[in-house]
Amino acid sequence: MELREFYKRFSLDESLAVGTGHNPYYLRIDSGLDEKIQVNGHEMIDLASNNYLGLATDSRVKQAAIEAVQKYGVSLCGTPIATGYLDLYQRLEEKLASFVGLEEAIILPSCYQANNGLFSSIAGPQDLIIVDRYAHSSLIQGIKAAGSKIRPFLHNNLEHLEGILQRSRGYRQVFVVTESVFSTEGSLAPFKEIVQLCETYRALPIIDDSHGIGVLGKSGRGILEEQRIEGYQGIYTASLGKALANSGGMISGKKGLIDYLKYYCPHLVYSTALTPSVLAGTEAVLSIIQSEFGVIKQRLVTYQQAIYESLIEGGFTLAASEAPINSIQSGSKESTFILAKKLYEQGILCTAFIEPSVPVGDGRVRLIAGANLRQETVAEVAEIIKRIGRS
Amino acid sequence: MNLEERIIRTIQGALEKRPEITLESHLREDLKVDSLDLLMILSGLEDEFSITIEEDDFLDVITVNDIAVKMRARGI
Repeated sequence: MELREFYKRFSLDESLAVGTGHNPYYLRIDSGLDEKIQVNGHEMIDLASNNYLGLATDSRVKQAAIEAVQKYGVSLCGTPIATGYLDLYQRLEEKLASFVGLEEAIILPSCYQANNGLFSSIAGPQDLIIVDRYAHSSLIQGIKAAGSKIRPFLHNNLEHLEGILQRSRGYRQVFVVTESVFSTEGSLAPFKEIVQLCETYRALPIIDDSHGIGVLGKSGRGILEEQRIEGYQGIYTASLGKALANSGGMISGKKGLIDYLKYYCPHLVYSTALTPSVLAGTEAVLSIIQSEFGVIKQRLVTYQQAIYESLIEGGFTLAASEAPINSIQSGSKESTFILAKKLYEQGILCTAFIEPSVPVGDGRVRLIAGANLRQETVAEVAEIIKRIGRS
Repeated sequence: MNLEERIIRTIQGALEKRPEITLESHLREDLKVDSLDLLMILSGLEDEFSITIEEDDFLDVITVNDIAVKMRARGI
């Protein structure tokens, strides 16, 4: 192998950033997710993070993390199967499972790992995995790793899904995989109907509720609560790094499956366990959600609505969102970067999605206003958006 | 409906944007087909022609006509 040729393959095409004069990725953040954040030395309003409930810098959450560090140190330097299975870890597993209304849960270092590890542990070449066309990369990569037959269905299209299920014979197992909230759009899966289709066609539903946990449902328990899905028999995964404001991912479901994954999911067995501060921080967030969710959610909805109205007034085209997300349809990757740049120059940090995160030429600029923002800050954002739209 | 027409109709069904499709259309450049779209198209072809397709056999297709050629080679 020619070393020079090998390394030449990895040169980065920076023409898009150079051409538009802006690179929205890997911006250096010099603060926590406070009311105003410091980005490359500039004070900005954060509409980019997934800090939906605004609890990432909540004093009670920070205090819980500090106390955990004082008691346990910064790491247990081991995987959960070895020295990483703290009392905090076990307690959080129980609390998370109970929170979403399922039997048991395991906690992995990220939801990406949860989704990656799950499929290769439960599926193989004799199986069929039917997946929403817009599913997150972690699900797609996890599914591909299992070596199963993959059949994508049109986004949230129950008719297309049912057609595939009707024609899916001869497989050992059939899984239907989707997300609760599609985060680039804010669209919600018709998951109750998907679960019913799975029952009819003897398939197993798998839901990634990363943008739903802590946000959806009357008490924040996620998609199963939101859509009143009782006695869920499928598998549930979610991130602990969005509304739950920490890091890590969970897989939850039937006790037998979770017990199996504890020994046979390599992404869990061979990864260093989450740190004490994260475990304690997540537990503190769950406790706050249980006592304050109604008030926090109301702020989240009010802010989303205010920004939505300003975007409409500014003449932007929006994806139909059913979550506390505003997603601007920004077209080409060039247009997407230019809009992100305009917002950046006016002090608003957004998330720019271009291919392959979204279909080619179908860019999105996403705005999430966390509940930690003040009303005046959201009003300031609304004015900036209207001004950009008119320019 | 001939083979080519059935292939074009299947691709239209698999792509939500429903662009204009001809035999000369390039899947990536003209129809903006990505890897998941290609899987959708192959699934659609499996249903349309009641066959099983291995994804690897179709990774080198560039145009719609390339798909037609591969299908004809299978005796369809």
